[in-house]
Amino acid sequence: MKKNLFAALGLTAVLFLTACEKEEPHVHNEEELITTLNYTLTPTSGGNAITLSFVDLDGDGGDAPTITGGTLAANETYTGTLELLDETQKPAENITTEIAEEDDEHQFFFQSSISDLTVAYTDQDADGNPVGLSNTLTTGAAATGSITITLRHEPSKSATNVSTGDITNAGGETDIEVVIPIDVQ
Amino acid sequence: MFNKKLLLLFIFSLIFFESSAQDCTLSIRGQVFDEVSKMPLSFVTLSVQQSTRNRMANDKGYFYLDSLCVGEYQLSCTYLGYQSKIISLDIRQDTFINIQLTPTSIALKTVVVEAKKEAFVGQSTTSIDRKNIEDNSNKNLSGLLENETGVYSIKNGSGISKPIVHGLYGNRLTILNNGIAQSGQQWGNDHSPEIDPFAADKIILLKGASTVEYDGGNLGSVILVEPSRIQRYVGLRGQVNYLLETNGLGHNLNARLQQYSPFIAWRISGTLKKYGDKNTPDYFLNNTGLEQASLAVQLEKSWKNKLFIDFYASTFNTRLGVLRGSHIGNLTDLKQALTNQVPFFTEPNFSYQIEAPKQHVSHHLVKIKTKYFLKKNQLLELVVAGQLNDRKEFDVRRSGRIDIPALSLLQYTFNSELKYTNRWGQNWKIKLGMQNAITDNTNDAETGLLPLIPDYIQWKNGLFGTLSKTVKKIHFNLGVRYDYTYQKVVAISTTLPREIVRYNNPFHTFSSMAAIEIALAKTQAISFNTGYATRNPAINELYSSGLHQGVSGIEEGNIHLKIEKAFKNTLEYKWFPTANFSVSALAYHQYFEDYIYLNPQPELRLTIRGAFPVFEYQQTDAHIYGLDLSTQFAIGKSISGVLKYSYLRGHDIANKQPLIFMPPNRLFGSLKYAHQKNIKIAKATYLQQIEFELTNRFIFEQKNLLPEQDFAAAPPAYTLFGLKASAAIHIKKYKISCFVKIDNLFNVRYRDYLNRQRYFSDEMGRNITLGLIFKL
Repeated sequence: MKKNLFAALGLTAVLFLTACEKEEPHVHNEEELITTLNYTLTPTSGGNAITLSFVDLDGDGGDAPTITGGTLAANETYTGTLELLDETQKPAENITTEIAEEDDEHQFFFQSSISDLTVAYTDQDADGNPVGLSNTLTTGAAATGSITITLRHEPSKSATNVSTGDITNAGGETDIEVVIPIDVQ
Repeated sequence: MFNKKLLLLFIFSLIFFESSAQDCTLSIRGQVFDEVSKMPLSFVTLSVQQSTRNRMANDKGYFYLDSLCVGEYQLSCTYLGYQSKIISLDIRQDTFINIQLTPTSIALKTVVVEAKKEAFVGQSTTSIDRKNIEDNSNKNLSGLLENETGVYSIKNGSGISKPIVHGLYGNRLTILNNGIAQSGQQWGNDHSPEIDPFAADKIILLKGASTVEYDGGNLGSVILVEPSRIQRYVGLRGQVNYLLETNGLGHNLNARLQQYSPFIAWRISGTLKKYGDKNTPDYFLNNTGLEQASLAVQLEKSWKNKLFIDFYASTFNTRLGVLRGSHIGNLTDLKQALTNQVPFFTEPNFSYQIEAPKQHVSHHLVKIKTKYFLKKNQLLELVVAGQLNDRKEFDVRRSGRIDIPALSLLQYTFNSELKYTNRWGQNWKIKLGMQNAITDNTNDAETGLLPLIPDYIQWKNGLFGTLSKTVKKIHFNLGVRYDYTYQKVVAISTTLPREIVRYNNPFHTFSSMAAIEIALAKTQAISFNTGYATRNPAINELYSSGLHQGVSGIEEGNIHLKIEKAFKNTLEYKWFPTANFSVSALAYHQYFEDYIYLNPQPELRLTIRGAFPVFEYQQTDAHIYGLDLSTQFAIGKSISGVLKYSYLRGHDIANKQPLIFMPPNRLFGSLKYAHQKNIKIAKATYLQQIEFELTNRFIFEQKNLLPEQDFAAAPPAYTLFGLKASAAIHIKKYKISCFVKIDNLFNVRYRDYLNRQRYFSDEMGRNITLGLIFKL
């Protein structure tokens, strides 16, 4: 009886081993993914717009992202607009609208290694706090460096200096943080 | 006197010889002695375990328990200044026994029930008894074990913790709930074992080199969480516990009810918990609440003492909040958090609210065990069990996705086991068995994210055999085990276009052990245990891919991992020279070849969310070694104390550096005063078992770490004091035990190296627990 039981159990195990095949998982669209950031700068004195971008089509893993820098004119003021996309979707999903809908929970911050390059907010959420999807960028003397664009989710917008664009006390968690090289000529 | 006793025994045997086995009219009679002085002990309390229908021995130490049915019993004897003793008895007729009680001062470890000890010959065992479980029913499994030598807790905040034994945890530590290897997402350091310890009567920790009888990737230690058999005592019995904690305003309610009848025996245990935000000495830990509801049902039936069928079903459901301030984005956020004294999102108000980030976890178990005696000395056991583990983790997400989990895993496990035991000749015992476990793990696509670990089915088939023998003062035990594991994995590629990638992995693993225990003299014992075991890489080690939000690191599996091999030796020495003093020392060394660990990669990974450190599973050769020391002493009958020290080192041989995430050394001490007399507070109302206990836990700084191995240096050493006062009120036939316990008495600010949230916040401040235990 003992032997039979052992044999039966062993046989069951073998049957299970060969019979089952794990079902294919559903490869769904990744929600909430941001693959692309485009920062379009239009000179107020006229001329062609410049687009700075950070593109990482396959998300966190896989291939390295593509970063496109740009050349700006010295002592110029640009109208800046930010666009966020999920290009894994066809057509690409516009994440900018998601941010705009939850503008009270989001804020962009701009920092540059070029000291006289500044970015000012030109938009507001319902509470009168800045968001940063629209802004103006002002260049000073010629220099080479980079601009860091950060998007914080659930920052403390009322904390000291956060509304003027100082990230120090903002807190929250980072949804975007990209560093794009720029050249001011 | 001796003749009188013999005569009594003879008379009892005659009187009850005729009694029917079906009726519950059997009795146990006996006499209780002091083990050391051999003098009778008067007025010892005896009960068939957990019954409140206690009987007291008379002034000559004689006792009498009646109305018992045929079957297995656990007789418990308690007497102040002596260790409580539980004796397993198989009652078929009226029985007379002599019981010897050991004065409290002799090592706790010897309390392990005889029948168990046999199975663990040469294994160092530590057990947590029912009283300890009842008094700490607000704690989780890890919390119950953390003051034992060689054990530490890995925490993720205050509510989530898992045990680490001799430096091994997660995939390397086997936890058996009711004899079934706990299945679920054990790989996650922020995943607590889904077990309610209140349903158990005993938690046994085996710290040996290898325990071949249990399935799981065990390279040494095993934790057994076990309910006892239902006592064959007619009548309904039960217990209700209520505990209130000040830190987190936590309510904890446990209840247990059981009854035996010759037809069927049943027991129900349940727990309800609700906690709000905990607090450090200075601020609230927002979103660290906890809710838990669990229930266990146990049924036992036997036929003619030959066939025993036990049914066990349990459901465990919990919602755990994770500190909001620990949910961060990239490395910049982490660096910012490290400079903050108070975590972000800290609010001035207490709340029971649990919001994202949070975990919703359910674990259900159904088990049927059949025990059949082929002959008196031959036993066949068949166990069939199913488990369902449902884990959902919620992160802070955009656009109303906060209600959609970021991780959603469903795991079914089917376990079966067949064991054959034979005892023959002069104390020979052989045990043979086979075990099968089928695990089916599926990600729910609802998350809208790439899964952290892939879908898979795993089959594991194991065969084992153990042989043991006792020759006078020497026990030896040998064991071998072989497992065949087959993993069928279906992963989604990390590169575009997304594709389905299938992996089929067969693994052969093997383990063996040998143990010997020698009683050197009446007061000394030494045991040596050696074991070699191999473990196949787990799914997460092979294929995990993604971001761990809590430490803002990307974890990458490694499909080239090989089988991990480990060789462990333990040597234990016990010395109990007098009734008031005992010492135990356990030294262990474990050598690993191809030790699997998370290695931080030199380059950061650039993503649109910023830079992240990358950790990849790699293999190295390593040593883990340490020493567990413990001593117990008693001064007079009222004062007793314990001192425990655990030392551990982990070393990466190949890279010539320390192993990360190893427990720091620690010291635990407790001093207890037990008031010898009962205090009468009213008519037929007494205050009994009055005890005061002062405890101290000192955790050394983990200095065995290089600065480049972590984001922040290990926290400094800390010391915590605790105080407990307890008493039992006897009102007529009812007994209510109550206690007040203060943890972190001096409200110390501290952080712990093995708490993953140490980057973000301090640990809990002072906590006062009020407990009431009512037994029916």
